[in-house]
Amino acid sequence: MADNEKQKLLRRLQAVRFAVHDAALYLDSHPACREGLKYFREKRELCEKLTKQYEDAYGPLTASASAAEERFDWVCTPFPWERGES
Amino acid sequence: MWQYEKTLQYPVDIKNPDPALAKVIISQLGGPDGEIGAATRYLSQRYSAPCREVQGILTDIGTEELAHVEMISAILYQLTRNLSMDEIKRSGFDTYFVDHTTGIYPQAASGVPFSADTLQSTGDPLADLHEDLAAEQKARLSYDNILRLVDDPDVRDPIKFLREREIVHYQRFGESLRKVQDMLDSKNFYAFNPSFDKPAKRR
Repeated sequence: MADNEKQKLLRRLQAVRFAVHDAALYLDSHPACREGLKYFREKRELCEKLTKQYEDAYGPLTASASAAEERFDWVCTPFPWERGES
Repeated sequence: MWQYEKTLQYPVDIKNPDPALAKVIISQLGGPDGEIGAATRYLSQRYSAPCREVQGILTDIGTEELAHVEMISAILYQLTRNLSMDEIKRSGFDTYFVDHTTGIYPQAASGVPFSADTLQSTGDPLADLHEDLAAEQKARLSYDNILRLVDDPDVRDPIKFLREREIVHYQRFGESLRKVQDMLDSKNFYAFNPSFDKPAKRR
């Protein structure tokens, strides 16, 4: 990934997506934990913000997030198993 | 229903190809305690989980295991880039290469292809959850053994992440087991199958 800004944003996004996922696993077994729910809502809000920021700049992370009019951008960006793309 | 996201759960960026390492790490793809087995186990077992919490845990951990399948595959893919025929012969990768070239095929390090023989879905949540706790420990020790065999920090870093996830999943399955045990009553003290012998009330 030549673009340093892209990688920096992706790292932040991965970290917050992970926080949302791990909090969800915790809430599966502690569904009434108010502190956990608050943490989950905070991280999810940040996750939504960063996802939009990333997708606006670098293309969709899911096929359904594409808003392309000319060429389907889902297949124009690299897949994450390539070096420097995750 | 699932939706693919175009990022790895945790980054994989390996500078130096090393086919000998790929031959070992492939066990965590298709080996007896690998990630394909983990995903298949939890996503199959969830239908007989007796409460929504445990259905949720099996669904969400099973889904995360699919992301781990992708991480291990990315590690294997990057470790086997741009190999010369000489590297393939010297590293012992030739026995894999002859069947699969550098394609990603689910097998154990021993060469045995992935098999559902390595997992169970019993229809009995107590039996299943005990298996799940053991499975997380077995996967954790496989990652410990991989870390004993690998020096390259580019490879160790994502492997350490995967190892830590086994520990978190073990914790969640422990809570699941407690939850199912709490649903048993004095008439089911010896833990008959609560999904079959004594269906739980829908909640």
